Amino acid sequence: MDEQKTALQRLGSRFTAILLAIAAVLVVLEFIFHRHGEVAAEDFPLFPALFGFLAFLFIVQVGKWLRVMIMRDEDYYDD
Amino acid sequence: MINPMISFDIASWPPGLMMILAAFAVPWIPHVARQIWMLAAIALSAWGLSSGAGVHAVWQVMGLELVLYRADNLTFPFALIFHIAAALNVIYSWHDRKWSEHMASLSYAGAAIAAVHAGDLITLFIWWEATAITSVFLILAAGTDRAQRAAMRYLLFQVLSGVLLLAGAAVIASHSSEISFGIMALDGPDALGVWLVFIAFGIKAAFPFLNGWLQDAYPEATATGTVALSAFTTKLAIYALARGFAGTDMLIWIGAAMTALPVFFAVIENDLRRVLAFSLNNQLGFMVVAVGIGSELALNGAVAHAFVHILYKALLFMSMGAVLHQVGTIKASALGGLYRQMPFTMVCCIIGAMSISAFPLFSGFVAKSLTMSALGDTGIVWVYLVLLFASAGVLEHSGIKIPYFAFFAHPSGHQTGEAPIGMRVAMGIAALLCVGIGVFPAPLYAILPYAVVYHPYDVSHVTGQLQLLIFAMLAFIFLIRMKWYPPEIPSVVLNSDWFYRWLAPRVGRPLLGAVMGVWAVFVRMLVWYRDMGWAVLDRVMHAPISGPTVPGRAVMVQALLLLLLLVLGYLLLG
Repeated sequence: MDEQKTALQRLGSRFTAILLAIAAVLVVLEFIFHRHGEVAAEDFPLFPALFGFLAFLFIVQVGKWLRVMIMRDEDYYDD
Repeated sequence: MINPMISFDIASWPPGLMMILAAFAVPWIPHVARQIWMLAAIALSAWGLSSGAGVHAVWQVMGLELVLYRADNLTFPFALIFHIAAALNVIYSWHDRKWSEHMASLSYAGAAIAAVHAGDLITLFIWWEATAITSVFLILAAGTDRAQRAAMRYLLFQVLSGVLLLAGAAVIASHSSEISFGIMALDGPDALGVWLVFIAFGIKAAFPFLNGWLQDAYPEATATGTVALSAFTTKLAIYALARGFAGTDMLIWIGAAMTALPVFFAVIENDLRRVLAFSLNNQLGFMVVAVGIGSELALNGAVAHAFVHILYKALLFMSMGAVLHQVGTIKASALGGLYRQMPFTMVCCIIGAMSISAFPLFSGFVAKSLTMSALGDTGIVWVYLVLLFASAGVLEHSGIKIPYFAFFAHPSGHQTGEAPIGMRVAMGIAALLCVGIGVFPAPLYAILPYAVVYHPYDVSHVTGQLQLLIFAMLAFIFLIRMKWYPPEIPSVVLNSDWFYRWLAPRVGRPLLGAVMGVWAVFVRMLVWYRDMGWAVLDRVMHAPISGPTVPGRAVMVQALLLLLLLVLGYLLLG
């Protein structure tokens, strides 16, 4: 179990490193190519990146609030 | 040229009908031969599509002209993908030796295909209901009490949808004696009928607050049944909306709500197949928005999205079905670390996850770009941003949560291996199609309703989409590293089915009790008055009024009648 756990952690670290590398390339590309969006707001430098990052945090945060409001025990409906 | 050896031309049969007929033989054919029989039936039905565009079968009955087989540019892509999905289901469920689910699955797919080719509302209604009645057996097949109750709730909503459709058709027919299924106007002369049809479609398309049945029932079906369910009913509704309500503005708002709301439910849901059901709802939202825009580009987007969605959603449900089949549970809280035991399933799942998240080179990207571009053309910026937000949501629940909690996260200690060969073959084919369409979108674009030249792979689209996805994934890693990502816990998430599963019984039963109580008091009062009346009459009849003579009942009645005659006489003459 512990051995599996460290294997998973190693996998996670590698994955993180790859993602960071891709992200760095994307940031560089953003200032080399002229990227134009479907709507004007999207033309702002790194708009999709910021939007994606913040949207994700927002979704998880709202999820935390929703847990209180609409999350119930598994046997909630069983009577 | 007429071939005298053939008395009827199978190619002019409504596609799908062949599959329904073949389904009746399914119980009597032994295992394995049965799977081949079903694949043959699907192939024969698909051959019927070769008739091409036009009206190929009309049935004159009771003064109505029922168009059983109409084909055009809109029906073809749906018919094609429905046939592919049906064949994938047969392969995926190859290991299942029981006939009941196979019969349900084949006839369900057949009914959906036949419905797509219905040229009038009555024919559409017949197949619309047929999909409900056949598909419910896929949920019942799970064999649990939970599934049985969910199946009945599911059937109630599906049949309600059909009844509304029939009522709408009847209203429309009574006004214009025209039942052909084409574009309809919600504010036209047949507004009532059209609205009924619209709501009927809305139930099957899982509009907000009409969606409870989807997340309620789909995850309760068997491992194989959910895969079949995910393909047909809702996409049939998308087809029907595209046929009847393309360009209806309201659909843009409805669709936008559908893309955004399920995101928040999916993030906290613990049952991974239910997460996928919420995700399905969110995907339908993109299609509904596209139908609402109604431009040629947008309708191409809706159809392309439906096409690729059926493949990657089936792939995701197949991978989760494989996990369920092998491990016996699909709760995120009880899973994890399966990437070593089920590597093939893991790879297929990730391909499905990347497709639905619309990574470049995967099928979701080439389809969703159409809708997003069409939406950009309309200039409705905030809906565009809602859909962009929903795209990050898709990545969260289908792109990351599904593969992460099933195959990685933390070791769960399950000892298992890969799923049966049929499951793996079906997943492999679906995965290849997802990548194939993503890399070579041209064949998909060629079968879309409108000839539109579109290039998804330009620098702006690719880098923009990658930025969105990669940075959203970094947000996930950030949350995991900081231990801020909430753990999955065994739970149930309240959805719109709460209104009829919890509220309705608790408010309805006391309310019904109160009404029945008042009614009982009222009835008791009536009984009391009646008894009193008779008692008074009896007293009058039998008690002496005056003197020793007791007037009999007959005399009394005669006296009353004479009095009545007298009064009537005065009234008439006077």
